[in-house]
Order: sequence, then C-alpha cells, then structure tokens
Amino acid sequence: MRERRGAFAVILIVAMVWSISGLEVTLDRLLNAPGDAWAILRQMVPPAFAQVHERGAVGKIFESVYIAWIGTVIGALLSLPLAFLAAHNLSPVWIRGPIRQLFNAIRAVPELILAVILIPITGLGPWAGTLAIGIHSIGTLGKWATESIESIDSGPIEAVESTGGRWVSSIRWAVFPQVMSTISSYWLFRFEINVRASAVLGMIGAGGVGSELVSHLTFRDFPAASAVLVLTIGVVLTIDTVSAAVRRRIITGSVGSDDPSRSAEAMSDLTGIKHR
Amino acid sequence: MTPTPGQSIRPERPRLRARTVGIAAALTAFTIFAAVRVGFDLSTFWEVWTNPLWEKFWPIPWEWVFDRENVLQPFIETFQIAVISTIVGCGLALPVSFAMSSLTTPNRPTYLVSRAVMNVVRAVPDLFWAKLMVTAIGIGAFAGSWALTIFSLAVMVKLFSETVDGADPGPLEAAKSTGGRHTPSLRTGILPTVFPDYVAHALYVFELNVRASVVLGLVGAGGIGRVLEAQRQFFRFGRVLGVLVIIFVVVWVIEQVSVSLRKRLI
Repeated sequence: MRERRGAFAVILIVAMVWSISGLEVTLDRLLNAPGDAWAILRQMVPPAFAQVHERGAVGKIFESVYIAWIGTVIGALLSLPLAFLAAHNLSPVWIRGPIRQLFNAIRAVPELILAVILIPITGLGPWAGTLAIGIHSIGTLGKWATESIESIDSGPIEAVESTGGRWVSSIRWAVFPQVMSTISSYWLFRFEINVRASAVLGMIGAGGVGSELVSHLTFRDFPAASAVLVLTIGVVLTIDTVSAAVRRRIITGSVGSDDPSRSAEAMSDLTGIKHR
Repeated sequence: MTPTPGQSIRPERPRLRARTVGIAAALTAFTIFAAVRVGFDLSTFWEVWTNPLWEKFWPIPWEWVFDRENVLQPFIETFQIAVISTIVGCGLALPVSFAMSSLTTPNRPTYLVSRAVMNVVRAVPDLFWAKLMVTAIGIGAFAGSWALTIFSLAVMVKLFSETVDGADPGPLEAAKSTGGRHTPSLRTGILPTVFPDYVAHALYVFELNVRASVVLGLVGAGGIGRVLEAQRQFFRFGRVLGVLVIIFVVVWVIEQVSVSLRKRLI
C-alpha cells in the first residue's frame, strides 16, 4: 500500500512539472498574477448597471435563456425516441449499438465546436447557438434517458405483453409511467447546464450575453463588464435554484416520499458517478 | 357499485386538473415565444445539406494537420493546461469541501461563507473565467490554466462536499470522542472512507477540463482552440475540420479511459 502511495505521488509530481514546463510560467509572472487580477477587480467596483442597461444587456441575458430553453427542447424531443431505441431491454442489438455510438460521438464534441461549424452555415446569431446546444444536448440527454429506461421494473412490460399489447403499447403503458418523472428532471438539469453554455456561446457570436462581456472586456471597460457579470450570475443562480426545487418536487413526488437520499441518487446518476 | 355480469370494474380515469393545464399552457407559450426570439427556422435542417459552404470543409489538408508545429504542439499545451488545473484545483478542493459539508465544517460561519462564495464562483461559466483571466494577466496558456483551476475547484467542491455529507459519521465521532483535534480527526475519521470517491470525482473533473481546455483558445487562453480560431478567421474550413477530427478522437479516447478507471475505483 505504501509503495502504491509513493508511486501515485511521483506520478502526480511528474505530471505537474511537465505541465508547468509548457505554460511559459516564469516566477515573475506567477508572483504578479494575483496583483494584476486584484487591480482589475478593484476597477470593477462599482458595476455600471445604468450603462449596460442602456445598451440592452438585460435583453441579451434573456436571449441566452431563450437559447438554452429552445436548445433543451430540441435536445429533449430528439433524444427521447432515440433513448427508447437505445435501451437494451426494449430494442435489438443492431439498432441500439449504432444509436449508443451516436450519443457517445455527440457528447465528445463541445457546444462551442459545434457552433464554430454551424456559424458559417446559419450565419451569426442566436439560431446557431440554439442548434449547437440542441445537438449537444441529444448526446447527454439520450444517455441519461437510456440508463433510466434500462433500470425499470420489467413486470409492467410483461403484463402488457401478456395481454397481447404491441411494442408501442408497452412503451406507452409500461415504460413511460415509470421513467418520465426521472427523464423530465434530467431535462431540467440539462437546461441549467445549457444556460451557462449559451452565455458562453455569445463569446464567439452565437447569440446571447457572451458578446456583451467580450466587448466590454476588450475595450477594458471594467465597470460595465462587472455589471454584465453580476447580472449573469444573478440569472444563473435564480434559474438553478428554481429548477432544483422543481426537480426535487418531480423526483420525490414520483416515489411518494420526500426522502432526501433520492436527490443525492439522482445527482450521482447525472454526474455518472455511482455511490455505493 | 356492484358489477353487472359481463362488465368489469375499471378505475375511474383521473380528471385533468386546471393547474396541470395551466402549467402546460404556460410552458408551451414560453417555448413558442422563445423560439421566435432565437429565430427558430426549420428550413435550416434541409437547407444545411445544400449549403455551398460544405464544399469549403473539403478536402481536409492532412499533411498540414499532421505537421508537428501546427496541431501537435498546441494540443500538448491543451493537455498541460488540463493536467495542471485539475491537480491544483482538486488539491485546493479537498480542504474547501470539508469546510462546506455540515458534517465536517469547523464552524458555522466558515460553512456559510464557503458555500456562498463557491455558489457564486460556479455560476460564472468556464469561458467567462478564461476571458477575465486573459484580460487580467495576458493572452496565453497561463491565463487558461488559472481559469480552469478556478473552474475545477468550483465543480470539485460541489461534487465532493456532497460525498462528504453522505459519509458515515461514526468514525469521526469515535475520533473526536478520544479528544482528537478537528483536522486530525477528519484525516483519520472521514478521509479514508471518501478517498476513492475523491479520486473518481477528480478524474471526472479532468474529463471536463480536457473538453474545456480544447475551447479555451477561442478566447485567447491558449491550447488547440487558438489554432481553430486562427484558421476560422481566415475561412480555412478544411483545416478547421481536420483539427476538429483530431480533437474528437482525443476527447473520445480520454473519456473512455477515464470512465473505465472510474468504474474500477468505485
């Protein structure tokens, strides 16, 4: 055990030294960085809310929220049917194999990269960002939905099949009621992530509040930049809080108890890390 | 109600509640409104295929892509940013997470302040941090590493403090009952039980960082994104696509490795 710990420490130290060697770090940059950051932070107070309000920053923030919402809707609508086809208890291997690979492939491409490809095609503006978020969401939402479909109780499916019901009926009456509460809470969770993503997309011209921040920072107008930041943080935190409350309501409502461990379980599902 | 012969009892169909209808209508209305505001345009889906710009993405100049200087070098830089910020960010996250969990926090004010600060830090998207750092300390990978360090810290404390919340309090109580001070009790009472989760979360954060560091260059914070941005501005879409293919393969491989490592850990 002790040797393993030693080896682990050596690997970490080697990785650190190797990484730092590539980053053009000099002692003098390292020492100056906190000072530089502090100097800018001081110029950011107080935020110039009136100025950014005149430039329509509030509208831009709402545009980010719309982009995130429509992106989530697109992702949800396209991923749901695909998830049924990707679940091992509902579909044969020659269908679910390619669809799972599709989910994996989509998740490997960040939204910003998708936007880089889409902007020459759709032109600058919110629609490029919306499509990028929508496509990227299919990957994660599809994966999560597939996992929750695979973990259902197979009893109701057998019940529907024993009455002679077809595949579609067993989906509608045996699978849907079991999974929709979980899946819709995943949609909301993805919406929270997408609000942040759409704010970022604006930085490369795909609509939303990111463009405001970039232009203020480029012209070193720090009071305005901090006003945009504060507004964005406010909106993001509000949406997170409301959405988390709704998700908790959906999840606990569905099992008929308000056992707090359920939401911890959902959280661990969402991050892909299972607790024992 | 007694069943008449040949007729079965069925449960009554639940009536649609006014509140349900209201929520559905409000959501639909908001969706339509939002769709109009983002310029929803179904025709994109079929016009995409006939767009003349696609030809510009082809052919991919592979000899340019596989040149050492062009892609490999910035890619190593991307990787270095991800590694250093994961290590520093997750290292800092260890004490902060203990401060943020009600089970292990030294006192109430520390708990409240660390939670509030971390919530605000997490509400700022990763690339906003990158742009701020680029403005503060100059263009390049150094700024990118700072940004991702802050971002990893924010994500890691969220994940790990929840693990600490769910840890078994027994060993900690035992350590404290023998008169142990706070920090040593944490080290012997809590850390061994949560350490595998800590490593698993750190690997997950590393995955996030690889993905984030790929795009950092789009705002001038170093790495492969810098190449992407430069070629995009000169409309060399073939080269852009070539770089994207490489990014795709690398991110894919790292994710597969990390997922299998995480599965073994837990």
